[in-house]
Order: sequence, then C-alpha cells, then structure tokens
Amino acid sequence: MALTRFGYASLQVMDVDAAARHYVDIVGLRETDRVDGKVYLQAKDNQDHHCIILNPSDSAGLESIGFKVNDPADLDNAAAAAEAAGANVTRIAANEIAGQGEGVQITLPSTHLLTLYYHADKIGYACGMENPDPVGSTETGGKVNHLDHCLISAENPAEVTEFLVKVLDFGQSERAMDPGGNMMISFLFCGNTMHDLALGPGPNGHLHHLAFMVDDRGDVVRGVDLLKEKGVPTFDYGLSRHGIGGVQTVYFHDPSGNRNEFFSGAYVTPGIPDRVPPITWTMDHLTRGAFYYENAVPETFFDETT
Amino acid sequence: MSLKHRGIVQLGYVRIGLNDSRLTKSREFYSDTLGLLETQVSPGRACFRCWHEPQQFSLVIDETPENGLIEVGFQVRDDEDLDQIQARVEATGIPVTRCPADTPLAGLGASISFVIPGGQTLRLFAENRILGYPTGHDSPDWNTPRQLRGTPAPLFINHVAITTPDPAATINFLKEVLEFRLSEILTKDDGSTPLAGLLFRMSKDVGGQEISVFPGDAGRLHHIAFTKEDASDILTDGQYLREDGVNIDIYGPTRQSFGKTFSLHFFDPMGVRLELCSGGRVTENHPEFEPVRWTESNLNKALSFYDNKLNDSFLAASL
Ligand SMILES: [Fe+2]
Ligand SMILES: [Fe+2]
Repeated sequence: MALTRFGYASLQVMDVDAAARHYVDIVGLRETDRVDGKVYLQAKDNQDHHCIILNPSDSAGLESIGFKVNDPADLDNAAAAAEAAGANVTRIAANEIAGQGEGVQITLPSTHLLTLYYHADKIGYACGMENPDPVGSTETGGKVNHLDHCLISAENPAEVTEFLVKVLDFGQSERAMDPGGNMMISFLFCGNTMHDLALGPGPNGHLHHLAFMVDDRGDVVRGVDLLKEKGVPTFDYGLSRHGIGGVQTVYFHDPSGNRNEFFSGAYVTPGIPDRVPPITWTMDHLTRGAFYYENAVPETFFDETT
Repeated sequence: MSLKHRGIVQLGYVRIGLNDSRLTKSREFYSDTLGLLETQVSPGRACFRCWHEPQQFSLVIDETPENGLIEVGFQVRDDEDLDQIQARVEATGIPVTRCPADTPLAGLGASISFVIPGGQTLRLFAENRILGYPTGHDSPDWNTPRQLRGTPAPLFINHVAITTPDPAATINFLKEVLEFRLSEILTKDDGSTPLAGLLFRMSKDVGGQEISVFPGDAGRLHHIAFTKEDASDILTDGQYLREDGVNIDIYGPTRQSFGKTFSLHFFDPMGVRLELCSGGRVTENHPEFEPVRWTESNLNKALSFYDNKLNDSFLAASL
C-alpha cells in the first residue's frame, strides 16, 4: 500500500531538559517517554507514542524523519525500490526507537535519513478515547493538535522530489521555480493535506523547520503572544501568512536553534500524484508567497537552518 | 512503483434531487447564499464546486419529482481499483452497475455504482474533469474570490452523513468492503451495537470523516458538510446566513464532540441539512488507527459540547 503521514522528527539538541521544557511548555506537547537519555513527546490529538524525539548532541539539527506506511509489506517493497534507485538502506529493529515497530531507513539524495515504519505503540489522545471532553483543560503551551510537516534543505530539491515521487508515491501540491527554471522549493504530500514534507534550498541534511498545527487563526495569534511573553525567539516578522498554501504562521526557535512553526489552515489535496497540476510560484512573486503581508523575503529566511 | 496509494482516495461529490422548478431556489441559495461556484447548468441539472477545489463539481443538483439523495461519488486512483472494488462488492452479493465515461454525468470517467446496505447509492470513478483551481495555478492569492465574499464560501466538500435503520451493517460494509476506517464510534452503553460512526479514507486535517452513519430511515441523507478555515470564520458565516433568512439548527455554532469539529448546521430552502465545519483531528489511513468510543448515554455531549439540552430533531434525516 502506501505512506500515510509524517510520523516523527528526531532532533539533535544541546540540552535535552531545556528542549523538553520548550516542547511541553511552549509548543504544548506531552512528554511520553524517556529512554537512554532521549525524550519522546507527542501532541494532544495524535494517538501514537511520539512525534518528536530529542537526542542529546553537541549541535542542533535533524537526526532523522519518520513516515508511516499502512502495510507491513511496504517496508521490504520500499527498501527494494529505494535501493534500485541508488539509495542506501538500513534496517531498524523493533523498539530501537522506543514505541515503534521495525523500520527501514533510507538515505535521501539530500543525505537526510528517512525512516519508514508500520507500527507505533498507541497512547491515545490527551483527552482520552472514551466519551471525552474534546478540549482538554490542563494544556500548557500552544494549542497544537499534531505535528504536521517539515521543511528540509537540499542542494538539489528537484532531485529529492523526483526520488520521493518515484519511489514513495509522494505528490506535489505547490512549488517555487527560480528564473533558470530550477525547482527551488517543493511541497510534497503523501496523504490529503497540502504537504507532509517540503524541500527548500540550502545545505544537504539540514532542517529548515518543523510545523505544528493549531485549529484556528486565533490560536496562532495567541501562540505569538505566548512566545513573546515567554521570551522565545521568533522570526523577524512575527505573525504572518504564507501566500504559498494560504496559511497563518509564526516561526520560532527551540533553545538549540531548531526552527518551529505554529500554523493554521485548511487545504485538501487529492491524495495521489499527478491528478492536479501543481501551483507554481515564480521568483517575482515569491516575496508574497513567503510572507504575504510583508511582501518581502529576508535572507535569514533560507539561511537559518540547523 | 513500490508503494502506491490505492482504492478510494477522496470524497468526490454528492448528487441530490430536488423538486424545485427550474432549480431556481436551489441555484440562488447555493450560489448567492452559501457561496459555491456554479460550474455547469443544463436543463434539469446544476453543478457546483467550492472555490479551493480543482475538479468540475463536488455538488450536483438534479430537478426531480421527489426530493432525495441520488448518489455519493468517491474517487479512486485508477480503473484497476474499480475492477478490484467491483469484485469485492459482488462477492458480498450486492450487484454492481458499470457505466462508461460521461455517464451519468458529463466529465466523469468510467464508473461503478452499487447500493450499500443502508440503501444509499455510491458511485466510484477515477476521473472527474479537472478545471484547475479558480484562483489559477500561477502564484495565486489563496483568497476567497471577490464575488463570493460576504458569504460562507467554503473551501471544500468535507463529508456526507447518511441514515440507516441498521448502522452496524452499513458501518461494517464500509469498513470491510470499501476499507474505510472509523475515527469515532457511538454504541449502546454496553458497547455492543454500533449506533453511529464517522468513517474516513483520507489522511486529512479537518473534519475527521468522509462519510458518517446515523440511525434513521434507509437510503436517506442526514447532511452534507463543507470545510471552513476555522471557528471564527464560522461565527461570521452564521451572521451571513441569518441575514439571508436561513434556517439555522437550534444547536447553533457548537463544538461537536463526536469528531471534535467546530460546526454550524443549517438548512437549504428545500430542507436539506448542511454543515460548515472546521477543526477536528488529523486522520491516518492506517489499520492500527483507533477510533474514539462513545456510549449512548453520552449522546448529548457527543452531539454538542456547548449546549445543555439534547436536540432530538438533529437526529432525523433531512432528504
Ligand atoms: Fe511550514
Ligand atoms: Fe457532520
């Protein structure tokens, strides 16, 4: 069968406890496990064991990203297809990543590690799974429902896009092209949302940002208020809207410098590639595409990766 | 390709029949009051889509002697899916009808149709003509088109709700034969008999369902839901609908705990119940995905987190 959704991001952080406090108190995740010095966290409206793994390290960055498949046989099939396409593939045993079944780890052309796995231990929604009050009263931090997507940087976004479309059946919803006709930013989906995985220009192997979804534009506004009140560093423009995708957004950083995003919006894609021609942004419109109100793209927007 | 998204990939359209002479009232309501885009009109038929949808329609209204739900259309990936699903449906003893492209709806590819245990007709197809996004595909402003502002102008069709005297049989068929998954289930207090269920195939972040099953008359429609950006939007939409004299359900804007959506239910001039919804939980098309479980004595909280009284009339079919 196929990929279902973006499952987790495994991050390198310089101070695990400070990072855990950030992801609980600011982002609003639940800490779900601590194993071998690693901290596992999950958002309130996702029933799996984790969506974030914090790894102690001497630098910030992305250790790996995980996507789920809906058939155990997909693991072997994806491994064979990735190897046939020239990628390195390794195996991960069950519980090598806590709360997760066996997996395969594919090295993308951009050197990022992409883990595929079928099983995740179930912890349920924060509100509970039986006759729940749908909105919890004890939440801290942002009103985050789930980890939604990540943007990673690559020297050649087109090459990675081609790999993901051909090998893993991703579709493309939107893209930005430079004047030379090269794909500069690529928004890819494996479910029916606008993007699960996006690629932007920059060093191979780096993280641009991880995005957490909130229900309402008002929740993004209150999120910015919270970030400012708590002294969390945000991107220069604070609250904005991406013209690309038409979503409300704010960027901020965890204590190690990994970039996060609160965003809200509704966008449905057909769930299969090539059904709808992608939206194409050209350079003369990219300022509006990146920051709709400000109509400008500061250089730090692409340069700040971890 | 090693991995491939297969089977039903999205809710395509809902097709209803209304006894509305020349569809005058319906066309006025769905265009001017609700804010859909009319894409085709022919004698006896009007087709609409939402402003964020690339395909030619997500709502089809036929002029018919009697009001009723005609069919619900789901999109599959390709014709191979149609063959496989046809075989699975026929194996349950339910006859399947094949239609060539452009039949019964222009611009639709080859399709199969069948009657599910609840009495409703489903039509599956791989192609529904793509017109492209109304905003264009070239560096668009993702804003509500100017001519629709001041109306709810939903972004997408979200889900369709049906009624059946035997919800368990319909839920079971949707799960076992069409591979839908449950996001929420409501049973009798002892957990035995399913009374209502929200089911999905899409991994999407608003609404948590594409088809929901409620107890009631066979073959009927409970409501059609459309996607809105957020709750604040829906509060404003309620103002526009009230100003146009629309009959709004007594629950008003509410958090529907059953699905966690922020919802507003109201009626078109012919009495068809409609919903604007936002929020909900992200769904995942995965066999291990677990539904939220509700029991009958919590029905009031399930239907409305905000209202103190159970609104019995909400449970009745509307078409
Ligand atoms: Fe983002
Ligand atoms: Fe609904």
